[in-house]
Amino acid sequence: MKLRLRLALTAVAVTVPAVFALVQVEHSVRRRTTDEVIIASTMSQMQAGGRERCEAAPETWMVRPPRSPQQPPWEREGMPDGSGGPPPGDSNEPRGGGPGKGPRGPGDEGPPRGRTGGRGPMGRRLPPVNLYPFDGQFVSRNAQAPTLDDALRDGARDDGVGVRRYAKDDGALVQDLLLRMPWEGGPCEYVLARRVEPADSPEVGLPPLYIWGVPTLILLSAMVVALGPVVQRLRRLTEEVRASSGSRYAQPVSVNGHDEIAELARAFQQARAEIQAQMAHQEAREQTLRDFLANTTHDVMTPLTVLQGHLAAMQQRMRSGEPLESGLMHSAMSEAHYMASLVHNLGAAARLEAGAPQVQHAPVDLNALVSRVLGRHQPIARPQRIALERGVPATSTWVMGDETLLEQAVSNVVLNGIRYGREDGHVAVVLETTRQQTFHLRVIDDGPGIPEEERSRLLERRFRGNEARTREPQGQGLGLHIVHNVVELHGWRLTLAPSEYGGLEVGFTGPLMSADD
Amino acid sequence: MGERILLVEDDDPLGSQIVGHLRGAGFEPLWWREGRLLVPGDLPDVSLVVLDLMLPGAYGLDMLKALRTFSEVPVLILSARNDTLDKVRALKLGADDYMTKPFWPEELVERVRARLRRPTLQKEQAVVEVGPLRIDLQAHAVQVQGRAVELTRVEFELLAALARRPQEAVTRQWLVEHVLDPEREGTERTLDVHVSRLRRKLGPVKCVETVWGVGYRLVPGEEA
Repeated sequence: MKLRLRLALTAVAVTVPAVFALVQVEHSVRRRTTDEVIIASTMSQMQAGGRERCEAAPETWMVRPPRSPQQPPWEREGMPDGSGGPPPGDSNEPRGGGPGKGPRGPGDEGPPRGRTGGRGPMGRRLPPVNLYPFDGQFVSRNAQAPTLDDALRDGARDDGVGVRRYAKDDGALVQDLLLRMPWEGGPCEYVLARRVEPADSPEVGLPPLYIWGVPTLILLSAMVVALGPVVQRLRRLTEEVRASSGSRYAQPVSVNGHDEIAELARAFQQARAEIQAQMAHQEAREQTLRDFLANTTHDVMTPLTVLQGHLAAMQQRMRSGEPLESGLMHSAMSEAHYMASLVHNLGAAARLEAGAPQVQHAPVDLNALVSRVLGRHQPIARPQRIALERGVPATSTWVMGDETLLEQAVSNVVLNGIRYGREDGHVAVVLETTRQQTFHLRVIDDGPGIPEEERSRLLERRFRGNEARTREPQGQGLGLHIVHNVVELHGWRLTLAPSEYGGLEVGFTGPLMSADD
Repeated sequence: MGERILLVEDDDPLGSQIVGHLRGAGFEPLWWREGRLLVPGDLPDVSLVVLDLMLPGAYGLDMLKALRTFSEVPVLILSARNDTLDKVRALKLGADDYMTKPFWPEELVERVRARLRRPTLQKEQAVVEVGPLRIDLQAHAVQVQGRAVELTRVEFELLAALARRPQEAVTRQWLVEHVLDPEREGTERTLDVHVSRLRRKLGPVKCVETVWGVGYRLVPGEEA
């Protein structure tokens, strides 16, 4: 269902019962006020001589509706009309000069229609009231008096006023009030005041359509008109959201105003930003993965080709019965080792570039790490007659860090020392702890070392992807880059300095694991 | 035959390679080609388990978890995955060491040896014998080939420090800080002087070895 239609229907559903309720309230207030007016006027009339006249002729006394609008009904007393009434000229004829001495037409019975009566409550004309006397037994001597029912009797006995309302067959509304007079005994102890509202009186039933229909109509039209811009803005927002989703959320939606629709637009903007960030993250990850695959393939292919060449040469030598050349064998082993370290490095680089969430901090025993790293490189160092030495504290040295990345970093430095070391050279890893709860891990070699300007450049250099490594097939660029990033990630310090043995000394310094960790 | 080692590895070439190398290193390998969730009594009498992670039958870490409920046998994990999370998880589950593929067989053998050696190293011995050298740490007495040697306090402390970790290099800095009197003679130069004096007194056996870049270590030594 459209918004506009739904709101119009809701308005109708709310307005109609409200109008009826208001009409009901108005009716009941008016009835109560009418009752009070009737009671008051009847009482005053009875006390201003009405009692005497009634008691004088209870068989014929009654007050009948006036004929002329100038006189209030209770000013007119007279004989009942019709055949049942006492003959005119009776001794009990009231002095007030009732409405005509002669017999009246049958059509005159009942209240006059719409043109008589005094001012009622709320400025409306009060229809004429007929009064009939009753004695203490609720018996009237007047034959024309209507019969009383229990509700009237009980009300008058208990509260002084009995009330009964009912509709006649022709739609006229009858209002009976039985009043106890402020005296005891006599034929006029109770007076019944009857008022008959004709069926076409504006006070019976609903007020005319123009009274409540017009405001309701105006209200509805105002609502529909006011809804126009709202619906318009909603439609525009819908179109913009559709367009945005069509453009992979690149296109923003406009946010105007400070109402709920603007809120909705803002919420969509937020969702859009979130989606864009997620998409960007996803793309970055995919890119990292693609780069990783491409780099791995490229970097591993070269040493693999060399290895294949070596193996082919070895096979040829075996076929021709020549002894295996140890240099060839070492070279092949070296290539295989290099491949393994490359793949590890590329994995580490991919993790480092993916960002911090990929890094897992856990307690790491540096003693064990050093011995693992040296154990791994022993097979490649031995053929080159490079001695790998280590000195670690007697007890475990615990730090917080990412074990894989740290091992990779130390491994890279050691591998560099071996690859660039000279025959019969040394690479030593020395781990020491200080009283200031820090560790100092040094990797020392006696190789050619690195000139100072290049040392600083090595540390500053950022990862330049494939290109950097293509120019340096030894993979040093990536290796040291990873060392640098890993140390930075852990908040440690990396130093490159000439060693006292002529080669390079790479130092890692950082805090030991504290009790809080 | 040496100690029995259980290898759980599903890859045939790698498994037979490892078996060959372990046998060559003097161990007695037992090879399972798939994982199984062990219950007490299932585990053969072995000194160490080399466990692959990606296994048919039962995942390596599950196997380790089940194993650890009833046995303290050292476990060395082999895995192709070089992920810190895996390592941390394995170590938490009670693995003693973790090796990632690829690795050199030599390295594996070294690690197995180191793992089997470890428990004996933990208790402090009153008397350390290294080759022809006999050092009584409590009585402060040193003998070379049965001959008593008189050492100064510093020389003895130096030798004792090395003797507590035989075959392992001790850094010069540590020795300076823990053996020398830091206020009077706390330099590495002084340490070297003490070492050379010690060597002379222990001669002709060369058992205090200089470790390049690190410091000194006590070795069985050989007569010059």
